[in-house]
Amino acid sequence: MREPLPREFVEALAAASGRLGIFTREILWYPVVSSTNDVAGMLADREAPEGTVVVANAQSAGRGRHGRVWASPPGAGLYVSAIFRPKRDVPLLTIAAGVAIAEGIQSATGLAVDLKWPNDAFVHGRKVAGILAEANSSATGPYVILGCGINIMPAAYPPEVAVRATSLEGELSRAVDRGLLFVECLASVSKWYEDLQRGRLAQVVEAWRLRATATIGRRVRGDVGGTTVDGVVETLDDTGALVVRTRTGLARVTAGELTWV
Amino acid sequence: MDFDEITRILGMMKEHELSEFELERDNFKLRIRKQGGGHWVAASPQPQYAAPVPGPPPPAVAPSASPVLAAANEEMEFAIVKSPIVGTFYSAAEPGAKPYVSVGDTVQKGQILCIIEAMKLMNEIQAEISGEVVKTYVENGHAVQYSERLFAIKPA
Repeated sequence: MREPLPREFVEALAAASGRLGIFTREILWYPVVSSTNDVAGMLADREAPEGTVVVANAQSAGRGRHGRVWASPPGAGLYVSAIFRPKRDVPLLTIAAGVAIAEGIQSATGLAVDLKWPNDAFVHGRKVAGILAEANSSATGPYVILGCGINIMPAAYPPEVAVRATSLEGELSRAVDRGLLFVECLASVSKWYEDLQRGRLAQVVEAWRLRATATIGRRVRGDVGGTTVDGVVETLDDTGALVVRTRTGLARVTAGELTWV
Repeated sequence: MDFDEITRILGMMKEHELSEFELERDNFKLRIRKQGGGHWVAASPQPQYAAPVPGPPPPAVAPSASPVLAAANEEMEFAIVKSPIVGTFYSAAEPGAKPYVSVGDTVQKGQILCIIEAMKLMNEIQAEISGEVVKTYVENGHAVQYSERLFAIKPA
């Protein structure tokens, strides 16, 4: 069930009120939900407006891409989803979302955050936040749900996750201000979304490249739309595709599964 | 005249409940007429440059020999779901899971048929009409192009 927004969130939102852009409408807080993306999707189907935000203290069925479980124990992370109804095609939305979350985490904590294509946030080589973007349409038109899970506390993650994941408090060895983290991420997403809507695509791509120390120059291998790709990441092209140098030439990756070798 | 143009014409005829449509262009003539039973029948294209010959009128309801019109005929019978974007086709929510739909399934308007992933954005593709899935065109995990056929649905 929905509950009033915790005080630390209310105070942080008030302090940042001029920077929240589209996120000034409705922020819905739940102690626990199945998945914030599912709740946001349900609201969007009922015509909830752009900028509606769902935030939860825990998810009973948090998920990542392809139905992978996103461990979401109570209080261990920030689980947020927002509804977007872009007026124009926004091909770089998932790229911009990665940049925005990395910037938001860095603003709130001071930690250096880098990106793995397209939008996983890493600190010291371990994943600290992930994004799940889902597009669908309701009677009033298409919408996109951007969901984000940020690990805040070291928690009892499943062993297969524990070796690849980290948390902000684990990295900082101190407590994180959740309200500040939430608000800095919202402000950053709002800013980059506005840039996208205004067609400032080059800035998005450039900002991503500057943060992609975890991606550029890395060897990757994987199945991409039925074809095998094996090579070294060269760059991100202007469309947001990953350019991989293989033995036979350059390959553009826009989807599929990549393994970091 | 390509397949998409014919599809658009058929859509327009349906929308405005036209019973007959005729189009003439250089070297090309298309006539589509709705028969009593509510089925759509496309006429063979008639080369317009042929001198008008007195005699019986061209068979307006002859079965089509052209592959383009044959495909259009298929489109008349079934609703073809096409990919709205370039991306990777996923038939199920996760690897190893039951596909969203299989041939023979009945689907409702708005039901999710598949996911097309582009730039890690999961685009859920919905059925625009209710009916029976009669054909799937793409294998799980394969790349799809813009407008590529995904499913054929026989309207309920």
